[in-house]
Amino acid sequence: MTDAAVSMRRLSKAFGGVHAVQDVSLDLYPGEVVAVLGHNGAGKSTLMKMLAGVHPADSGELLVHGQPATIRSPGDAQALGIETIHQTLALADNLDAVANLFLGREWLTPWCTLDDVRMDNRAREVFARLNSRFTNIHVPVRRLSGGQRQVVAISRALQFDARILIMDEPTAALGPEESAMVGGLIRQLKAEGVAIFLISHDLHDVFALADRLCVMKNGRAVGTYACADVNEDEVLGMIIAGKNPAERPQCMGPLPSLPTPQPPG
Amino acid sequence: MARPSASSGEAGKAGWREALDARTALMAAVLLLLWGAFHAFTGGLFLTPENLYNLFQQTAVVGIMATVFVLVIVARHIDLSVGSAIGFVGVLIAFLIYTRQWSWPAAVAAGLVLALAIAVYQGALAAWLGVPSFVVTLGGLMSFRGAAFLVADGKTQPISDPVLLALGGGYGGAIGPLWSWLLGAAVCLALVSGLVWQRRYRARFGAPPRPPAADALRVLLPCVLVLGFVATMNGYQIPGKDTPQGVPIPVLIWAVVAAALSFIVRRTRFGRYVFALGGNPEAAELVGIPVRRVTLQLYALLGALVCVAAVVSIARLNAGTNSLGTGMELYVIAAAVIGGTALAGGSGTILGSVLGALIMQSLDSGLLLLDVSIGMRMVLIGQVLIVAVVFDALYRRFAGER
Repeated sequence: MTDAAVSMRRLSKAFGGVHAVQDVSLDLYPGEVVAVLGHNGAGKSTLMKMLAGVHPADSGELLVHGQPATIRSPGDAQALGIETIHQTLALADNLDAVANLFLGREWLTPWCTLDDVRMDNRAREVFARLNSRFTNIHVPVRRLSGGQRQVVAISRALQFDARILIMDEPTAALGPEESAMVGGLIRQLKAEGVAIFLISHDLHDVFALADRLCVMKNGRAVGTYACADVNEDEVLGMIIAGKNPAERPQCMGPLPSLPTPQPPG
Repeated sequence: MARPSASSGEAGKAGWREALDARTALMAAVLLLLWGAFHAFTGGLFLTPENLYNLFQQTAVVGIMATVFVLVIVARHIDLSVGSAIGFVGVLIAFLIYTRQWSWPAAVAAGLVLALAIAVYQGALAAWLGVPSFVVTLGGLMSFRGAAFLVADGKTQPISDPVLLALGGGYGGAIGPLWSWLLGAAVCLALVSGLVWQRRYRARFGAPPRPPAADALRVLLPCVLVLGFVATMNGYQIPGKDTPQGVPIPVLIWAVVAAALSFIVRRTRFGRYVFALGGNPEAAELVGIPVRRVTLQLYALLGALVCVAAVVSIARLNAGTNSLGTGMELYVIAAAVIGGTALAGGSGTILGSVLGALIMQSLDSGLLLLDVSIGMRMVLIGQVLIVAVVFDALYRRFAGER
């Protein structure tokens, strides 16, 4: 069996006296989409931010591709192939789409200056993969539509070859057509063996895209199930009341149906 | 190789945008209008080589500080202590030379160390402890003014070293007509070859070419301005000297600083990060930009330029006094803001600050030539600052930035 792309073991994080995440264990396998559900404040974003290096974990163990990993900064996470599409998109509104795509990881010329020409070219290719009509890449992103801004944020994950992708409400700001595009992208990345955490409030999306789901409440994991084993009402019951559905096995490992991912080549 | 078909049109637009920023053009127009108006009202006194020579020379110190202040404000910081820091550093340098008999390079080096220490101290408080830089530097405004007094016990420290004095402009403080022309020619050559190189580089990576007309404008306009400036400065001859002045050294320093900072803004990671953390500090953190380190580097840069400005100030004044640079912070902030730097952070240009500083000094000098009293001048310039900020707000609303 392949190693889990991410293995979280009893992770905890407190802010001041508030336990944002307590003793949460969750695995994610290559080529798998695991949805993380819960109310606002249930701890899903904090859990993801521990993996993304924004809020390093207080305690617990984190394994990435089977190796113990210490992730103390977004740079650490990026170095491990973990990319995050933040709910806020994390765009600098005053910079253009190309600058945002490469933000923090700019390509340099041999003289250590920004290599705008090569970054422009690369950006055109990446953006075109998501939206062929997106060409106004040199205006500040504040002037772009919600969908185009989302394209810029998602493109970061593509550009930097994410092996592990965290998507925090990726379709919240999008219209139906663009949501469908993101859905297609998730399936495509999954087929390429990318491991994806999907945070969403949209149960329809979750059942359409995810293999397994983990529900959180008050900083704890209520349960982790294969999507096929539960229905929407039971999931809502877990989210709202923290009540596990009776006589359903939890599913902590990968689904047997999960295809062995082909290394991208 | 597949490429989106609309991209060459987009590159064309980008090319023109880079060649001619609407806002900068507008500010340049305001400056020229102002000059024209003063020239007419003073009966032809304003647009003379002598007056322009003095105008540029007087603007240099504020201009030098305004360039780096653009970056400070862009990054959502502020430094109210620059005037006091310039006073402190300036007096220290003059004191070491005059009272302690140090050589001027050693004294300037000591001044640089002090300026960097001040900047890093304040920058660290702002970057690591998150103390608002407004408060930190408000304290500095007072402390360093006091320190400037303490260095030499309030006594004026005269400067007589000819090399140091030349840095302040004045009688022997210009590079002469020959060097001015050579320098102007070198700048033009550098601009043209830079453009040629850039076009080749774009072609090599198959980037859509820019419209040749836009590229030509981008290079020709600065060349004309540089050569025109050199011609004007060479047109001024101090009575009793055999040769014309040429470009004043403080203005040269200002130009070098402005060019260096423009380069930093457009071509380096540091410059881009400063804008990114001004545009969206949370995003900068989330994508892994070392926000604190960048902030500290920014303050260090500010400190280095405080030292440069202090040296030029004492050279211009022929002395270091404890009141050196008093109120300078307000002029510097005003120059940056008139030059289009948004106080909310995230936007501003170095060239804008150059124009802003020139607009302020032109108003001051022009009104002085018109015999307007100091009180009235202050009233008017203060209101001009407000006009600039109101214009900024309206412009941004118009451009859909808010």
